[in-house]
Amino acid sequence: MCPGWGGGTKDNVGSGAVAKIKMPVTGPVPVRRRTWWRRVRRDRLTLLAGAVLALTVAMAVVVPIASPYPYDFQDLLGVFQMPSRGHPLGTDHYGRDLLTRLAFGGRISLTVGGMAVLVQVIVGLVVGAASGFFGGWVDHALMRVTDVVFAFPTLLFAILVTGILGASLLNIVLALSMAGWPAMARTVRAEILGLKEKEFVEAARGLGATSRRIIVRHLLPNVFYLVAVRASLDIGPIIIAEATLSFLGIGIQPPTPSWGVMIADAFQHIRTFPYLVLVPSAMLSVTILAFSFFGEGLAEALDPRFGRAR
Amino acid sequence: MSQYLVHRLLFVVPILLGASLLVFVVGRLAPGDPVHILFGDMADPRAEARARAELGLDRPIWQQYLRYLGRALRGDLGVSYAFRGRPISAMVGDAFPITVQVGLSSIVVAVAAGLPLGVIAAVYRGSAVDRFSRLLALAGMSVPSFVVAIVFILVLAVQLHLLPVGGWGKWQQGVMPVLVLALRPMAYVTRLTRTAMLQVFDEDYIRTARSKGLPERLVVLRHTLRNAAITILTTVGIALSLALTGGVVVESVFGIPGMGRAAVQAVFQRDYPMIQAVVLLYTTIFLGINLVTDLLYAVMNPRIRYH
Repeated sequence: MCPGWGGGTKDNVGSGAVAKIKMPVTGPVPVRRRTWWRRVRRDRLTLLAGAVLALTVAMAVVVPIASPYPYDFQDLLGVFQMPSRGHPLGTDHYGRDLLTRLAFGGRISLTVGGMAVLVQVIVGLVVGAASGFFGGWVDHALMRVTDVVFAFPTLLFAILVTGILGASLLNIVLALSMAGWPAMARTVRAEILGLKEKEFVEAARGLGATSRRIIVRHLLPNVFYLVAVRASLDIGPIIIAEATLSFLGIGIQPPTPSWGVMIADAFQHIRTFPYLVLVPSAMLSVTILAFSFFGEGLAEALDPRFGRAR
Repeated sequence: MSQYLVHRLLFVVPILLGASLLVFVVGRLAPGDPVHILFGDMADPRAEARARAELGLDRPIWQQYLRYLGRALRGDLGVSYAFRGRPISAMVGDAFPITVQVGLSSIVVAVAAGLPLGVIAAVYRGSAVDRFSRLLALAGMSVPSFVVAIVFILVLAVQLHLLPVGGWGKWQQGVMPVLVLALRPMAYVTRLTRTAMLQVFDEDYIRTARSKGLPERLVVLRHTLRNAAITILTTVGIALSLALTGGVVVESVFGIPGMGRAAVQAVFQRDYPMIQAVVLLYTTIFLGINLVTDLLYAVMNPRIRYH
């Protein structure tokens, strides 16, 4: 070959260069850690969303500790106060400090979102991996169960569970994660199905590895990126669902402040004090937007073929 | 085609059975004895026992499930706990048409606005319209509908006095609910229309159409939109599901006596049969929507049938 051909495009390379033939790529291409971190760092929107989330978490952790008021401390002589030195965001219709409640509501929302996603990931991983790896009747049985749960609309499933079994924090988390795991399980299953035919799995089996070892040590690390991306994108909708349940009065129960509860409380005074509705609404919306920007940015950084490009 | 139809129908039946079983089991886990709830504290124990036998609550649980299923199939969903003895089916009959009316109106709005917006965004990719469509899609999917409803109420009702805050009966009372409910499906339709159009734009036959000098208007409408229509059609089904679920929130905020509000009230009143009925009904409807969408998809795209 003449070097003047300039590196050789695919057409120029003869049949001798078999090694250069591109292997068909299935599933996400794991990107080396430092590469994706560099991508995230370059992406200002993702960074901003990350900063907003960090700030929200910091507020949810620090403010309730630092605040002189418990979240349910009522000051009936000081209701509907405007922002002041004593109450940086003013007080609500029971004279409760708005900033404290806002931060505490953040705790609730983030806790519910985080825990529900965690449960969802665990169930999704177990079901998806078992289904994809073992195939046969295991796959069939698990997927039919998945189909059934998948058929339920999230919000209505949550209403069924919290409405009948009671609206405790645990029930809310379980209801929301139970509605969400089928999608996760399907993703994991599809991924495992593709991976288990790969040479490295065959090699591991040839070396005498047990099924459990192959799943845990060889397959699951390869679906990690995909699961992380999905999980980060799932938190937003879960927080929306929790806020919606709480707003309707069938989620977190007052006086515990969830953002949904605060919005519902203030909704009765919307004509006179719209500010009280707008502050938790803005907090909720900004947090969810930040989660969705951050999730999409992360998705794009980890797997450039996926993301907000198109 | 008929083989595909049978296959799909057979697929739906076990899912429905499983869903009804799940709803039944959760209902049985409910605290309290249904007969006790129906009769109150002062009831005669013998009357309670008789009612228990009549309702079949003294039989083994699997028989109870079959009985529940058999009755549900005939449209008998039991009686309300909250409105003593009122059949659930009658309550659903009152509330459901209202939900359908609001839901369908919002779907019409969502498609009428989202489809052109998605097409324009795809044609003028990267333009201001495109950026706006993406912002709208993001906001529609990220901002909770009750927050949107509150903003609407604050601006249109409280500040500008253009529309009533809530209620049901006059057309003015329907405007805000329909708009709020339309936002999420519209965001979805816009986003998917845009994606579907962009995908078709990449096809060879579009390049051919352009290179033979076809006016861009015809390329977009006749070649691209027609081929993207298959994908867009599926979005309408999902958009309808979104609108029906969203109804729960919107009906509660605006005080519309539909199924969504009935579901929330049933939770407050611990009206377990009503909760079960709502969930079962919605699940059935969603499965139906998915089925119809898939079948339409198969009709329009013969390749699907050979799975």
